[in-house]
Amino acid sequence: MNAVLAVQAAEKAAEAATNPVIPAVHEMFWGAISFFALWILMRYVCLPPLMRVRAQRDLQVQADREAAAAAEEQAEQVRRDYDATLGEARTEAVRIIEEARAAAEHERGQVVQAAESEVAVERQAAMAELETARAAALEQIKGDVADLAVSAASKVVQSDLDLAANRATVDDYVNRSGGQR
Amino acid sequence: MTGLLSAIEPVTRAASEGGGGLQFPPIENLVLWPAWFAEGTIFEFNKITFISVFATVVTVILFFIVGRKAKLVPTGLQNLMETSVDFVEKQVIGAAIGPDGMRYLPMLLSMFFFIFITNLFEVIPTSHMPGNARMANPLVLALLALVMYVGVGVKHNGLGYFKAALFPPGVPAALYILVTPIELLSTFIIRPFSLAVRLFANMLAGHILLVTFSVLTITLVAGPLLLKPVALVSFPMLVAFTGFEFMVSFLQAFIFALLTAVYIGGALHPHH
Repeated sequence: MNAVLAVQAAEKAAEAATNPVIPAVHEMFWGAISFFALWILMRYVCLPPLMRVRAQRDLQVQADREAAAAAEEQAEQVRRDYDATLGEARTEAVRIIEEARAAAEHERGQVVQAAESEVAVERQAAMAELETARAAALEQIKGDVADLAVSAASKVVQSDLDLAANRATVDDYVNRSGGQR
Repeated sequence: MTGLLSAIEPVTRAASEGGGGLQFPPIENLVLWPAWFAEGTIFEFNKITFISVFATVVTVILFFIVGRKAKLVPTGLQNLMETSVDFVEKQVIGAAIGPDGMRYLPMLLSMFFFIFITNLFEVIPTSHMPGNARMANPLVLALLALVMYVGVGVKHNGLGYFKAALFPPGVPAALYILVTPIELLSTFIIRPFSLAVRLFANMLAGHILLVTFSVLTITLVAGPLLLKPVALVSFPMLVAFTGFEFMVSFLQAFIFALLTAVYIGGALHPHH
């Protein structure tokens, strides 16, 4: 009986040894030792330096990003300042041009007014001079006309007319004629 | 190291001796690994256990080198390792747990690297045996995932975690007779079991696929003249499947880590 059981046990052991699904205990032992050793070393020795460097890199990247954002903001501020300055300069230029234009307009008005005044004065003087010359010419022509008229009348009447006596008549006529003009 | 060449040694020998036919390596080549030392004890060391230890050592060395000379502007290896950390952070923790899950980064990152490197041995020349094509590592990791998500659930929600897990809100009381046993099985037994089996089965299937195409190619090359041209098809297929298995190695590591994160996330916020 015992021999039969021993044979059966041996057969079972042989079957287990050649069955690929049944795990070998010593392989499990070494597998477990190897894996747990790897896990512990990974946790405390292998991974921390790598994770530290990655954390440093993340910080560096974060700092660089912030610096880039600050630089971008600064550049934007400079651009805004430049635009504002440019706007102010343009406004100032427009104001200066307008002021210059107004001043020029004012100056031109003054010059034109002065010129017109001067022309008016000169024209007035010329008119006065002309009037004086005309009066002088009229005075002179009055004598000549009287003489000529008396002379012509003397010839018409064939008698010497008194020049002095008739001059007053002629002058009176000339004066009246001149007054009618 | 046994390697693919020794694994298919019966095939090459049979082919060279003109034995003919497909000579697949026996299943023992997949299951029985000769001990390097401490045979018969729990400390027995063989190729599979070497792969587990190697995955840990390689991962630690890579991170140690990178961590020791880590620069603010990463280059070369540091870039690669930081990308992998980013990947686990964003695609595993970020997608499955959220910002609360960053404390689990060391565990999930270790899980990802451990599974990925042990899987990679499937396509590493002279090795050609993924560490996870044996049930031991997937089972250990799945049990760890179970302990983690139950632990996290209890830590953050007290015994209410079990109530939320076994008695989902919104279900009519009468249905709990049906729902509670299903949830019990699904959450505490099927979840870890499916985690382990998914990884183990995928890697074993991939390994068998590569062995099949290797055996086929060798048999065709060493076989009759008429069959030799067929190797021009099977060999490129072998190369293509090797590339595919590389992708599967990565994918399975990602899926395992992601599902673990999903379960932890579910335990953190059981009512969501």
